[in-house]
Amino acid sequence: MRRISLIDIAGAIVLVAILALAPMFVSSNYLTGVLTVCAIYGIWASSWDFMSGLTGRENFGHSLFIGAGAYTAGFLATIWSTNPWLSLPTAVGVAIAFSLLVGFPTLRLRGPYFALAMLSASAILQRLCLIFWEYTGGEEGLYGLDPLIRSPLHYYWFVLAVLVITVIVLTLLAQSHWGLLLRAIRGDEATCQAAGINVTFYKIASLMISAGFAGLGGALYAHYQLQVSPPLFSVVVSITVIIMVYVGGIGSIYGAAVAAILLTLLTEMLRGFGEYRLWIYTLTLMLILFFLPNGLIAPLWRRLTERLR
Amino acid sequence: MLQILIYGAVSSAIYAMLAVGFTLIFGVARILNLAHGSFYALGAYAAYVLTSLLKIPLFLAAPLAVLLVAGFGVVMERFLVRPLRQSQLAVLMITLAVSLAVEQALFLIFGSEYRNVPSFVAEKMSIGGVDISGQRLLALVAGVLVLLTLWLFIQRTRLGAAILAVSQDPEAAQYMGIPTNRIFSIVIAISAGTAALAGVLVSPFLTVQPSMGLLPMVKAFAIVIVGGLGSIPGSIIASLILGYSETIVAYLISTSWTELVSLVAVVITLMIRPSGILGRRAAF
Repeated sequence: MRRISLIDIAGAIVLVAILALAPMFVSSNYLTGVLTVCAIYGIWASSWDFMSGLTGRENFGHSLFIGAGAYTAGFLATIWSTNPWLSLPTAVGVAIAFSLLVGFPTLRLRGPYFALAMLSASAILQRLCLIFWEYTGGEEGLYGLDPLIRSPLHYYWFVLAVLVITVIVLTLLAQSHWGLLLRAIRGDEATCQAAGINVTFYKIASLMISAGFAGLGGALYAHYQLQVSPPLFSVVVSITVIIMVYVGGIGSIYGAAVAAILLTLLTEMLRGFGEYRLWIYTLTLMLILFFLPNGLIAPLWRRLTERLR
Repeated sequence: MLQILIYGAVSSAIYAMLAVGFTLIFGVARILNLAHGSFYALGAYAAYVLTSLLKIPLFLAAPLAVLLVAGFGVVMERFLVRPLRQSQLAVLMITLAVSLAVEQALFLIFGSEYRNVPSFVAEKMSIGGVDISGQRLLALVAGVLVLLTLWLFIQRTRLGAAILAVSQDPEAAQYMGIPTNRIFSIVIAISAGTAALAGVLVSPFLTVQPSMGLLPMVKAFAIVIVGGLGSIPGSIIASLILGYSETIVAYLISTSWTELVSLVAVVITLMIRPSGILGRRAAF
């Protein structure tokens, strides 16, 4: 990964400014809501990219951490009815605990095994939610969460700020010595081990970071929807996140966040096509896989900035 | 007791038909095919269209449905998977995209209502006091026959030897003059065909609807992990283990717990023996 240049910072500031000011020009609660969801997907996608994009261990069960964070917020609000702001740190903690629980047995695995193990783990949690419906609310889930901030516009700005901080923190980490080690693990794990690097520690730690941010995003989503339900754990959520990172360009983090925002907006715009919407989405995915194997956002930005230099 | 024995055998046979194809295509072509469940769903829908809409007699419609789906598998492998084989993630994504596209296409064409496929055998039978529909017994018999045929085909024929050779070392096999790409096409055809046959056989007694492929695919995953990715005997053993433990759980606890069985089995296997019962390659 190359160093951040002034152009990158300028581009980021312009983009964030556009996103932050967009609801001022077109003032509608609908648009603010859509943009909030965009920002939350941005947090999920960049957190996926930090672990899986850098180490090359594709996590097909990211929804596990998202759902864990969201349900933590749900339980805190509906059962213990604590201060809603407490749910953010707690959700991060619970998601990290889950990453340890799942990470230790599965992260030693190679190739498709890790992907499958994570997929199964998230499916187990979704089934458990339905089986213990007395506590989790079953299909309907948990209702009656309190919003963190009353005004939808202010909440959107808060979520956007969280997204910006997430991307900055993860990018700095990815640029550090730490990120270099993670990419080295993707390149050749055996060599890293031979060089005396504690590979397992780095993989677990990066999964913990990834899970923590995903859980935070989950809690933010729960407080936006004011409700949590089992589909949060579903494979479709994990897959949507992976598609976003793929479009953004794997391993770039900022690309994942931008792609998440664009794709969420695209999905919203395609709502007019009704039943054909998902079909168009799938076909777009196929075209991207064939014609843009390195993704769209990050390579495009790289080419643009090289022109400008 | 006898009931558990018979019903467990039926579900084991169906699982085995799904898992063998899934593991075969991974073992030979290293393709982790997330669209395997859609072969199963397409088989069931093809049988529905051929019998209910085109009024073709069932004994003709069933093989026709299997052939159609096998053809679909070959086309998918040739034009969608093969160009992307270099990247494992791309293969996972494209097969997933295919499965989503198939599910949505079925939904757009047929809607989300359940469809009915006529039974091959309408009579109910009774074995030792246990009532069982003839269709379930047929699924059991057909499953065993298919697995036996496949086993003989791979062990006894020239083509089977070529498939084994490619699964051991694709490059060396290519140097020995085995056309690996044609072998991949044959293997995906077998894989799609067996999954479609499973779909055709179970469609009379299970619900036929667009998302029917997802759960069987998760099961096939689970079986293949427990048995060892790429090992056919392993996946048969794992099908028996899973088929029976699910039936037992359904009887002792409740049917809603059955889906957990396979998932828990996956996690335990990955923790204790990640290469599965009979897996050849170590997973770590």
